Amino acid sequence: MNPALSRTDKIHAAILAAGGGGLVCAYWIAFFRSDLTLPKFVHDMTNPALVRLTTVYLGFESAFPLADLLIAVTASLAAFYLVGRDAKAVLFGLIASGALGFLGFIDISFNLLHGLYAPALLLKDGGLLMEAMINVTCVSGAIWSIWRLWGHPLRRAEDRPSRLMGPRENDPPTA
Amino acid sequence: MLSLAFACFLAALAIGTCVEVVARFLNLWTYRSPLYPLINVVLIFGLVQGFGVGWVIGGREALRGVFPVLFMVGAVLGLLTEGLNEYWLHAWSWSDRPILGIRRSIDKSAFIGVAWGFAPLLTVFLARLIAATPAAGA
Repeated sequence: MNPALSRTDKIHAAILAAGGGGLVCAYWIAFFRSDLTLPKFVHDMTNPALVRLTTVYLGFESAFPLADLLIAVTASLAAFYLVGRDAKAVLFGLIASGALGFLGFIDISFNLLHGLYAPALLLKDGGLLMEAMINVTCVSGAIWSIWRLWGHPLRRAEDRPSRLMGPRENDPPTA
Repeated sequence: MLSLAFACFLAALAIGTCVEVVARFLNLWTYRSPLYPLINVVLIFGLVQGFGVGWVIGGREALRGVFPVLFMVGAVLGLLTEGLNEYWLHAWSWSDRPILGIRRSIDKSAFIGVAWGFAPLLTVFLARLIAATPAAGA
């Protein structure tokens, strides 16, 4: 019998499902259907430097949906298996957290290189401020999730092998 | 002219019906009540994945770049649906027949949950074909 689901596990599953799955989906729906997620500078067509930055920024952002698909699906799978107290929660949780941290750092790197974290810009641009908060949440959430899953009892728990994995050494003989 | 929103709903209904027919033919899962497959096709396929996801996200003219989002939202909602059934509702149960070698009930739910991602994708393709046919425009 696998270990019981603790209160922190329930919170962790909720964060993986709502944050990793739900919020990532909500962000991309908003990105394609509204201007809610866009920084203000993308609307400024008078400054040639900003127009150039907007082209680079939007090109960079539009490369993310396929990579975020991996995060949304694996985070949801981790939540799904965590609720079911299955060892695969650790596998998918670590994949999701690793991918989340990786993408968070790529975003941070881009924003730093283009000066988008300048306090003056952040204070007057709600879109950039939201993005900075998302970056911090991604990296800190990924680190917390990896730390929790690595010490989780499910990491040492056995899930019954599926046919995909083939029989293991200690499996009982089947009729 | 048939609206794309209604075409998405119809396309998702068609896909859902095909899936249920194939699943019954292959004996992949069984419903606790004969009403549940109808609810699944109309509510989950038609309204949620077809109209909700397919049309809301893929209902604009330009589809470029939106495909991963269609799959993402479909799969996340699919995992939610499968999770609700696996842990609480028990409206349908899996047969002993493996799906692509997968035998455990929880793994089948996870696999089918992710496969739900194809529903809005296929819906949008099919809906655009339906909306573009001359009969739909008549």
